[in-house]
Amino acid sequence: MQDSDTTETDGGVTVQDQPFGLPRWAVAVIPLVLLAIVLGYLFLGSPFAALATGGAALPDVTVSYTTLPDDQTVLVHVTNNGPGTVTVEQVLVDEAYWSFSMTGGDRTLGPLESSTVQIPYHWEPGWDLEVALVLSDGATIHHTIVAPATSPGVTGEVVGTLAVVGLFVGVIPVVLGMLWLPYLRSVSDRALHAVLVFAVGVLAFLGFDALVDVGEFMEAVPGAYEGPFLFALGVAGSVLVIQAVSAWQESRTEGETSRLRTAYLVAVSIGLHNLAEGLAIGTAFALGRVELGAFLVVGFLVHNVTEGPAIVGPLARGRRPGIEHFAALGLIGGAPVIAGAWIGSYAFSPTLGVFFLAIGVGAILQVVWEMADLVRGEDGLASIGTPVNAGAFLFGAVFMYVTGLFIAL
Amino acid sequence: MSPSLDYERAREYTDALEGRLVDALDGDQGVSRRAVLGSLGLAGGAALMGTGGADDGHAGAGGGESHGNFGARGEFDEGFDPHEFLRTFNTGFDGQDNLTQEVFEEDGERVRYFELTAVDTTIEVAPGVEFSAWAYQGQVPGPTLRVTEGDRIRVQFTNGSRHAHTIHPHLKNLDPRMDGIPQNGPGVLEQGESFTYEWKAQPAGVHFYHCHSLPLKAHIHRGLYGSIIVDPDPERVRERPEEYCDFHESQITPELTEELVARAKSRNHEYDENDEVQELVVVMNSFDTNFDGGNEVYAANTRAFAYGVGETDGKGNWAPGETKRPIQVDGQRPVRVYLVNATEFDLINSFHTHSQFFDYYDHGTTLLPTNQTVDTVMQCQAQRGIIELDYSDHEPGLYMFHAHQSEFAELGWMSFFEVV
Repeated sequence: MQDSDTTETDGGVTVQDQPFGLPRWAVAVIPLVLLAIVLGYLFLGSPFAALATGGAALPDVTVSYTTLPDDQTVLVHVTNNGPGTVTVEQVLVDEAYWSFSMTGGDRTLGPLESSTVQIPYHWEPGWDLEVALVLSDGATIHHTIVAPATSPGVTGEVVGTLAVVGLFVGVIPVVLGMLWLPYLRSVSDRALHAVLVFAVGVLAFLGFDALVDVGEFMEAVPGAYEGPFLFALGVAGSVLVIQAVSAWQESRTEGETSRLRTAYLVAVSIGLHNLAEGLAIGTAFALGRVELGAFLVVGFLVHNVTEGPAIVGPLARGRRPGIEHFAALGLIGGAPVIAGAWIGSYAFSPTLGVFFLAIGVGAILQVVWEMADLVRGEDGLASIGTPVNAGAFLFGAVFMYVTGLFIAL
Repeated sequence: MSPSLDYERAREYTDALEGRLVDALDGDQGVSRRAVLGSLGLAGGAALMGTGGADDGHAGAGGGESHGNFGARGEFDEGFDPHEFLRTFNTGFDGQDNLTQEVFEEDGERVRYFELTAVDTTIEVAPGVEFSAWAYQGQVPGPTLRVTEGDRIRVQFTNGSRHAHTIHPHLKNLDPRMDGIPQNGPGVLEQGESFTYEWKAQPAGVHFYHCHSLPLKAHIHRGLYGSIIVDPDPERVRERPEEYCDFHESQITPELTEELVARAKSRNHEYDENDEVQELVVVMNSFDTNFDGGNEVYAANTRAFAYGVGETDGKGNWAPGETKRPIQVDGQRPVRVYLVNATEFDLINSFHTHSQFFDYYDHGTTLLPTNQTVDTVMQCQAQRGIIELDYSDHEPGLYMFHAHQSEFAELGWMSFFEVV
């Protein structure tokens, strides 16, 4: 159907004549100009002044993290999230006024400005320390340092140790798990599907685990960074990016490489998850919780063995790819633990933590989608919801839960 | 009393010395200007104050440099001066400049007339930390009113605050209309309203006045309180000595009567005997700056650590600050502290002296001590008393006094006498 003032171009796109005979670009620009005028009026004219209550915005300062370089110093890393400037006038340590200094020259923080409060205080290892910043209007920002212990400094030795830890937690268990591939290639389709669904169970558990971690980090994310939205953005972003890459690859490749592609996707998503694991380990070390860090190492080691079969599961059929692919898969899946541990111990921020975890969750969602396709088969006829598959999914989740107990110990 | 040392001059002299040394060292890359200033500040201060390393045990406001120091950072801005407040008594004859006051005879009675106004204001309770206060005459604590037993106290009260307020006196008051509570007399006074309270000055002692509007703890905690000191009348003491001590009428000897009269003269601002005594008003108060029902600041006379030292290395080397400095007293004359507890949200407060014991007069209504030779007293909210100290046999130097709830001390209620 055509109106009198529309014409059809040869491209099949309906082009409408512009009103008053204006050029197209002008019609595109006019709404922007009008918007600018409206905004100008809002800023300059203050038409809503009658609604102002005269109340100032509440100060909003977040303690991102604390470091304890030695037993006579406490460093509190703070960010001002509020719309106004705040001034830290006094500092209380365990309910006593205490001397302090701040990086950046003065004690005033503009919006989104960060600083480190340095307090010379002889703290006792293991005894919780309560620090409160008293702002100029008397508002207090409290932070409890649980079981304080000295944070390690940046030394080559620590960097090396964390790399070894990452190797043990990430790369070795993943590669060990991948050694199941020859066995997987010998089992029936039914059993293989069960293994793939088992891997989905594993991933589902990891995704849920990430959600819990996000919840913990979220509290420390400065309010202005909108933790929940950052998380949603990370999840949606990684799902969409991976989906786009995957679809683009699929358009260029055939069935055999499609399986390898899925394996790589699983490796990437597990790698992102392991990055978050590395963050947890690195942060534990950074906070001086070395014992907790050691438990995390043992726990994650056992835990991560299950990630190997998840990665190689898609390769159980068809031609076996070259050894270089396995090396790459192992590194992609496992090595991010090392990177995470470094980041976690030296440059940790809850904001980064939330974002990494969100990316991991998105990757997991995408992989679960791909795995479902794989189980359905080329013709899309095989059923996912068989009793065996349901059991395998549950087993995967339970297996992760049980090995997760090693971490919690 | 003229202080034996002029803090202003001492500071200028130290600054000049610092400047000279820093100039002399200019260009010497091995020494940072900051390090020079820091060590010189302490050494210069110590040299000027004449307090070398002698009183190591008294300068308790710190550990070594590496452990940091407790105490509030920085100095206070101008405004309310707790040092001035300590020794300011409004008698009607004289007092602080911003308080209208006079004394006159009326129907054979002596009237002490004051005009008090309540306002909403902002006060500084720790260096840089502001508190939205409601205050009589714009200050917390409110002006100290001082009268003689038997006088008529007439207070014309005007409410300039956005909230409704009253004045409730802790006196023996025979007229319920003058009790300053919402249920009696004029009730609460709204913004712009005025009322003239009249009270008989009785009994002798150190008393308390505060707003009695609801919610009560908000109105008190925000700063609407002050002290009324009723000096004993020596003539009345001579007539009724038994009312000023724990002895029964039959036990009163002529010697005891003379003793009580002499003590009354020492307590009464209209007698020369009173001039010998160094009298101080200390109102113990506290501020909940974040309104969570607990106090972030405890103080003697509102400003945290105002009677502490400016800086110290914890080894006896200290220097006064511009606004934070000890209370200087002459060791050869007696010290009398009128102590009032206006702390809100805590059941009790206390007063503890280092290296010294004192006599204590609960509510100040007796002329013989109710507690003798103690170094700690506690007061519940609105309780008050008189402390009499003698440092005549002490060496000059710093003597700490503070609340012996150590939490309160570390949150600001920590002070020093500097005996000279």
